[in-house]
Amino acid sequence: MTATIAVQSAARNDVGLIPKVSEGPALLAGIAQGPGLASHRDRLGPAPRPSAEMLVEMAREVDLRGRGGAGFPFAIKLAAAARRRAVVVVNASEGEPASHKDATLMTCAPHVVLDGAAAVAHALGTREVHIVVPSELPSLRLIVEKALRERAKAGERLKVELHGAQPWFVAGQAQAVLQLLAGRENLPVTAWKPEAVSGHHGRPTLLSNAETFAHLGHLARVGSAGYAAHGTADEPGTTLLTLRGDGWDPEVREVAFGTPLTDVLSEAEMAQPLFLGGYHGTWLRPSQLNGLAVSRKDIAAAGASIGAGVLLPLAEGWCPLVRTAALVDYLAGQSAGRCGPCRNGLPAMAEALRALVHRGGPAGRVEELCGLVTRRGACAHPDGTARLVASMLARFSDEVDSHALGTCRGNRREVFA
Amino acid sequence: MTGADILNGPALWFANRGTGFVLLVLLTLSTMLGVLSTARATSRLWPRMLTQGLHRNVSLLAVTFLAAHITTAVVDTFVDIRWWNAFVPFTGTYKPLWLGFGSFALDLLLAVTATSLLRHRMSHKPWRAVHVMAYAAWGMGLIHGMKMGTDAATVWGSALNFGCIAAVSVSVLARFGLLAHSRLVTT
Amino acid sequence: MSEHLLRVDWPACKAHGVCAELLPEVISLDEWGYPIVHEPVRGDVLELARTAVKACPTLALRLTAPPPRVTTVA
Repeated sequence: MTATIAVQSAARNDVGLIPKVSEGPALLAGIAQGPGLASHRDRLGPAPRPSAEMLVEMAREVDLRGRGGAGFPFAIKLAAAARRRAVVVVNASEGEPASHKDATLMTCAPHVVLDGAAAVAHALGTREVHIVVPSELPSLRLIVEKALRERAKAGERLKVELHGAQPWFVAGQAQAVLQLLAGRENLPVTAWKPEAVSGHHGRPTLLSNAETFAHLGHLARVGSAGYAAHGTADEPGTTLLTLRGDGWDPEVREVAFGTPLTDVLSEAEMAQPLFLGGYHGTWLRPSQLNGLAVSRKDIAAAGASIGAGVLLPLAEGWCPLVRTAALVDYLAGQSAGRCGPCRNGLPAMAEALRALVHRGGPAGRVEELCGLVTRRGACAHPDGTARLVASMLARFSDEVDSHALGTCRGNRREVFA
Repeated sequence: MTGADILNGPALWFANRGTGFVLLVLLTLSTMLGVLSTARATSRLWPRMLTQGLHRNVSLLAVTFLAAHITTAVVDTFVDIRWWNAFVPFTGTYKPLWLGFGSFALDLLLAVTATSLLRHRMSHKPWRAVHVMAYAAWGMGLIHGMKMGTDAATVWGSALNFGCIAAVSVSVLARFGLLAHSRLVTT
Repeated sequence: MSEHLLRVDWPACKAHGVCAELLPEVISLDEWGYPIVHEPVRGDVLELARTAVKACPTLALRLTAPPPRVTTVA
């Protein structure tokens, strides 16, 4: 395989580790030459300048999906925003603690993202571009600022503004980002219209994940046929994955769609339950991993979601119930506190889950709370948390029964102390 | 009895004092109902809608008595109060300071009434900012009444004034007491 | 077919519960006092729904045409 670069990414996980990064087939090709503009242009040539119609058509042809977690069809968003006085927002805030792909892109291949943002801005006939970066990674901001200076010197005429997102889980949510841009607190508010229709200052706002812009730039440059050089006929292209993002030995990799999971995870990891998507993700049992590929459709058919490309194999000797309860504790603490059902329901869910895990408390109460918080908030934070919990209950009913009897198949006897 | 006699005689003066006291009681009731609303006080026999409905109706009734109170004062020729003294505080010739308190209260209540009638056409935060000034309006109206004289010195007059002060104070204190223990109030 | 949807502006909702009193056919309250909207508003309760919208102390209730479900989380 290609070289792994240990120290270039500015990303850093909660344990303070920098993820390993490997060169990739498309977005991460050439990162060994550094993040500079000169080597980027040498390798790829000038920034692409397709029209909005062409861009929408290409995005539709390859079924380009947003990489922020929801997987929204990008062509629809682009078509909706293709009106007067649009605004482009590159969301690299990456509030997901187990994801480091955006930080890696912004520091190892910033011009890949910025070419995409510039292409979209040009297509929409606007100069206004906002880039949201995590405020807790100052080195990332410096790299992006340097990249922007390089582009300005090379003649790119865009009005780019950088914003630092708060280190909260919900800070990357679309409405929360718009609030940040408007100078208000970086938290979600109710959206009566999608931001592609009416967003920043009421203008059509194309807000997408940084990786989405990277794909767009690549697509605009090589066309749909070129884009489909990797991946499958059904799902052309590549995607970035973050492996073991919140633990030891984190890694960011670009893989083509259709890559078997056995090429991505070790044999030991394939024998463990897999938590994937992000902290709002879903679980898969080891038996479901056999024959599974990195494919949105395959994973959806298995009852999970590829989400933000976060893969978290359960460490050996750990229990999925304990892991989920800890995640829900974290997520409850990350509620913006603005909506009653979330502010009250998530801590209650954490409490009920703890009761389930430690004392075999009623699953019925947990299910009830999942129902009570879903679709009753300004954002999808409670929904995602409920989805995680529902997934745990669905996949690990055996483990739930064990815990009710005071034993843990993961051998976490101390939880019953 | 000619029209001039009525304008010059004590009838309007009595009407003015009467409407004044009724106004005080109505505003006090309205304030208490407002406080009850924010405390989300409710029981099986007393729905929240009742508090809201009463608050609105008592307030509107107060506004009509306010109009009557001002009219009787302006029309009465015994005391020289012009119609603009009612709206512009401290411009009167008769007890300008204490009359001014009343004018100020009127201005505040006009703002509160206007915004409340248009409540669902405006954004909630500015509406609320204006609405809390109703407390100030109540207070200024109370002081206006106490200091304009005449009946404030009587036993029943004083009793009424202090009764109103006590009623609003108890409501406000109870509201914050309620907040401290209530599980439902989650602001 | 006039099917409207009652939507809650969740950050504005402060659990006053007036809506549930006015429209128990459609709205009930959860264990923390926040409204659960059970179904779209049909013609026979449309007027009551409008009253509930006007009566909400924090203007947190809105009557809208059923929205297309568009979720955007970048």
